[in-house]
Amino acid sequence: MTPPPRTRRRVVPDADLLPVDPHRLPPPSAWFAPDAERHLLDRPRHCPQCGASLVDGRSITTEYWMADDRVFFTWCGSCHWTGTIVPVERVTTTEPEH
Amino acid sequence: MLTVEQNEELTRVGPGSPMGELLRRYWYPIAFVQDFDDRLAKSVRLLGENWTLFRSPGGRYGIVLEACPHRRASLTYGIVDDEGVRCGYHGWKFDFAGQCIEQPAETDNSNFRARVRTKSGQAREMGGLVWVYVGPDPVPELPRFDVFVQDGVRDVGYSTLPCNWLQIMENSVDPHHVEWLHGAYFEFLGQTQGFEAPKSFQRRHMQVAFDEFEYGIIKRRILEGHSEDDDDWKIGHPLVFPFYMRVGGAGIDQMQIRVPIDDTTTWKLFYSLHHPEGGRWEPQERPVVYEYHWRRPDGTFITDYVEGQDVMAWVSQGPVTDRSQEHLGKSDAGVAMLRKMFKENLRRVQEGEEPLGVVRTPHEVIELPCEKNKFGAGAAFAEQWITGGSMRYSPIQQLLLDLHRDAAAKDAAAGRA
Repeated sequence: MTPPPRTRRRVVPDADLLPVDPHRLPPPSAWFAPDAERHLLDRPRHCPQCGASLVDGRSITTEYWMADDRVFFTWCGSCHWTGTIVPVERVTTTEPEH
Repeated sequence: MLTVEQNEELTRVGPGSPMGELLRRYWYPIAFVQDFDDRLAKSVRLLGENWTLFRSPGGRYGIVLEACPHRRASLTYGIVDDEGVRCGYHGWKFDFAGQCIEQPAETDNSNFRARVRTKSGQAREMGGLVWVYVGPDPVPELPRFDVFVQDGVRDVGYSTLPCNWLQIMENSVDPHHVEWLHGAYFEFLGQTQGFEAPKSFQRRHMQVAFDEFEYGIIKRRILEGHSEDDDDWKIGHPLVFPFYMRVGGAGIDQMQIRVPIDDTTTWKLFYSLHHPEGGRWEPQERPVVYEYHWRRPDGTFITDYVEGQDVMAWVSQGPVTDRSQEHLGKSDAGVAMLRKMFKENLRRVQEGEEPLGVVRTPHEVIELPCEKNKFGAGAAFAEQWITGGSMRYSPIQQLLLDLHRDAAAKDAAAGRA
């Protein structure tokens, strides 16, 4: 059976529902401001190796997309871990023929 | 996608900014030796500051802030001698270290001059370019990258572009743009405007890779029909941190130089060394320099040559592209890696460490890895590069074509081609 298509979680751009973000966002009048807001506010916030903050200005995460995946190329300014973080919304496995 | 704050951190180059502090750890070319054929001082701008670059009658180069500390008049319109430069307005004189050594209108017993010092840097000539260092002590070695010091015929294309230098650097870790901007788009222009676009750039990218090394990032690609045994993958070519890219092929080696003039201006040089195997050339006293054109009088971009296409892509993003509005894909992984490299080295400088690629060891030459057989095009690549790139503006274009054709003919006669 074909699984239903995945849908992305929507972040409602309501200040009360969003976590406090320490970084400046594009001005509301900018073309892609709601999109940018969504992508900046739900990016990884802690290093998977040492747990340090990734959003305190000491580290950098650059998001790029690969098919349905959002890939965060990450460098931790505390432990210098470099790698990618990919949020998973569905785990898909393929059963080999047997 | 970055925050506005991250974008500003990566693109602001003025004094006191984090990136400005990092970039001040490196030497930059800022003039040509021929600029001083008919004058001893020139105004230049680098990293958001205005400077007076001067050459003493004895041949020593110096650089100090342009505004005289006295009443802010330009030192470029001063009197240059072997001790330094004297302001034309009231005669204050500054040595090569920026120390005020004379104030003719002040009383002789005053210690006023001892307390006046202007910002200065180091300046030297290499490869026909005047290089300056305006960062903190200790002054690093001027890196003698191969292209600047090896023998061959040199020509240097230059232009001043109204965009931030990082936009150009990110292009260096973006292999896929080649098959589109210089491949499909070039072919489209050729078909619609009636010229033959070069074919070397049209091959599809099958695999790309990026490796960090001691001077930056080595970029590798496998094009359709090629394998890991081809130069483009086996050797690749480097982005040299933080403002160069080294490219080459078919007897041409080139350093692409992106000098950050200020936040929104970049001096963009194509420094080419032509030395095909079997080629013969006369010794050159200095490189031939020429300006390449990228915009028509009506403001539209000139895109019927490779670098003109690049300039369109860099400049049309705006003076400082808004990276909070971008949407990167997996083909932009090299861009993400470069931003990480900048961030990592910003931190190193903030913590008092040496950033990547600062050279402290005296040396004769630094040889950089760079493919010889570019895009698998063989000797034909030289011809396509000279006629389809910015070298079409070179006053020695025909000489260069003859040099490469003669060398290719000798290779063919010897059975090497």
